[in-house]
Amino acid sequence: MPFLKDIKYSLHVAVHPFDGFWDLKYENKGKLRMALGILIALTVTMIVKRQYVGYVVNYNHPLALNSINELKYIIFPFLLWCLANWSLTTLMDGEGKFAEIVITTGYALLPLILINIPNILLSNVITLREASFYHLLDALATLWFVWLLFIGTMTVHQYTVLKTITTMLLTLAVVAIIIFLGLLFFNLIQQIVSFVYTVYQELSIRG
Amino acid sequence: MRIKSSILVLVSVLLLVGLCPRPAGAAPYEGYTYSYWGDAVQSPIAYLPSRAISGLEAGTGAWNVPGDLFVSAEGLLYVLDSGNGRIVVLDKEWNTLRVIEGFRNGEKKDSFNNPEGLFVTDAGRIYVADTENRRLVELDGTGTFVREIGAPKADVIGAGFEYFPRKVIVDKAGRIYVVGRGVYEGLIEFDSDGQFTGFMGTNKVQFDPVDLFWKSVSTKEQREKMVQFIPLEFNNVDVDEDGFIYTTTVDKKTFSPVKRLNPSGIDVLRVSSEIPPIGDLSLDRSAFIDIDVTGNGVYRALDTTRGRVFTYNEDGKLLYVIGQLGSQLGTFKNPAAVESYENALYVLDRDLGRITEFTVTQFGSMVNEANTLYSSGKHDEAAKLWREVLKLDANYEMAYVGIGKSLLRQGEYKQAMTYLKLGNDREYYSKALGKYRREYMRDHFSIYMTGMIAVLLGGYVIVRLVKRPRKGGRVQDAVS
Repeated sequence: MPFLKDIKYSLHVAVHPFDGFWDLKYENKGKLRMALGILIALTVTMIVKRQYVGYVVNYNHPLALNSINELKYIIFPFLLWCLANWSLTTLMDGEGKFAEIVITTGYALLPLILINIPNILLSNVITLREASFYHLLDALATLWFVWLLFIGTMTVHQYTVLKTITTMLLTLAVVAIIIFLGLLFFNLIQQIVSFVYTVYQELSIRG
Repeated sequence: MRIKSSILVLVSVLLLVGLCPRPAGAAPYEGYTYSYWGDAVQSPIAYLPSRAISGLEAGTGAWNVPGDLFVSAEGLLYVLDSGNGRIVVLDKEWNTLRVIEGFRNGEKKDSFNNPEGLFVTDAGRIYVADTENRRLVELDGTGTFVREIGAPKADVIGAGFEYFPRKVIVDKAGRIYVVGRGVYEGLIEFDSDGQFTGFMGTNKVQFDPVDLFWKSVSTKEQREKMVQFIPLEFNNVDVDEDGFIYTTTVDKKTFSPVKRLNPSGIDVLRVSSEIPPIGDLSLDRSAFIDIDVTGNGVYRALDTTRGRVFTYNEDGKLLYVIGQLGSQLGTFKNPAAVESYENALYVLDRDLGRITEFTVTQFGSMVNEANTLYSSGKHDEAAKLWREVLKLDANYEMAYVGIGKSLLRQGEYKQAMTYLKLGNDREYYSKALGKYRREYMRDHFSIYMTGMIAVLLGGYVIVRLVKRPRKGGRVQDAVS
């Protein structure tokens, strides 16, 4: 079954990142649909986490939960990261194609799902005193994700360690610039729209 | 016949309507509390205005900017009529008992000059912070002069020290504490002989990191024109039965406008709630002008911004809010002082020269009583009352916590968890969860252990079954 094989491979990437990401790039083992699948699964996991994580560690206001926010805070940053990374690495002699960057980033997200699901179950039976285990696992998931992202970026673009770190930090800067430009753009559009609307109103009322 | 019966029905309906109690909407303000999340939620009204009295009605002539109010242990009301420099004493039925206009100080006749603070000891001694005369005056119950205490004298006090006493309290040991105008070193403390012994309980200096930055880059001339970082002065004070001193500070930025000072002047106010006792959580925060300690660690703070009285229990949890600015009975124009006696609460209005009395409602008395039982550790008795409170106000979080703690002690862990979760008490929820978990595992250990062994065995068998044909396959491959 190809689907099972994909899952098995993504797990392989998570535990053997050097080997895995190499195969991903040079043996074409990484699948775009798998990466997007992981992304969607992560979004679902995060929504479930917000809602069903044990009460002792759940400080979310039940009336403030909104699944659209989770989409905004996971899928949007993911796309931004890929876009920023791609724009940057084309200028910095990176060897990765856009699809490869998306696949790498997607596969790197897997540990977040792997740790979060058991962690949600665990959090429902722990007391406040044992809550540090929950937070430890949470932190481990993030560290593992960053580690995979680091190895993935390094392998996909064929960078040295130092250059990878610089690239990743610069990518964050580029993300900030993109957000800034985006806000500027939408703000200007809004101004234009309101200007046109005012002119229209003026004409229609006078006419 | 039909007309007759319909008239009968009409009459009975009218009678029923007339018999029904007045709707709560008739109150001049809304009752509310803050939820764990900081949202204001509606709540029944705990105290309703019952009557009000002004100077004219008391037969003493209008009160001119009355500054302070005190209810003695016997229930006598002492009104400090600052503008007229006199003290009016009312009894429980609000008949004027005495008016102290002046007193004989040695040979000459003496009087107050714009006094702002008043305190009456259990023995009936009246202490007045005679602000513009820069002294404290002690009178006995009949208004006879006993002594006066002037400005504090000590080496630590600079030559430019301006002494204007505003509020005064006396603790059980006879020590006198004075709030001075513009005195940011804390409370001025005198011993029972009237000797200055020191300052106590200074507020912490508050500053903005942004201000600090600008101060560090500005020139000396610029710096002199800037606001200095000095601690804020206290503006009012009260003492509880154990001798702890409660102070208030008018500061809309601080998160500790209320302090409970121990004898060494250290703030020991218990705040176990998520929201400290700061009044309203709106952008324009409350400014406390008076505080009243009622016993069992319950204290009420009077807010001038919106004219509300916030009542907190010893854990710093908001019990209820009453009052409002306005012009109806039960609302104020410029509230100056709050006092309580038994089931009543008195608020003095400076601008209207009027005292409003509030009496406790059914809801209020249930909350008070339940809280008293709760804070003395009688959780099971308290839980019964908390259940009654919940019938009137299903949003009352403290009631859920109270019931939850009682259930926890009774060993009803699962139910306790439900209630503690509703009351948003994570600490006790976690305790209940731990107990419940142990109990649950003790009951179900055999099932889980059997299940685990079965799963392990099953897994082992499956692995063996899956691996064997693969081995065979490989062998076959090698052969072919």
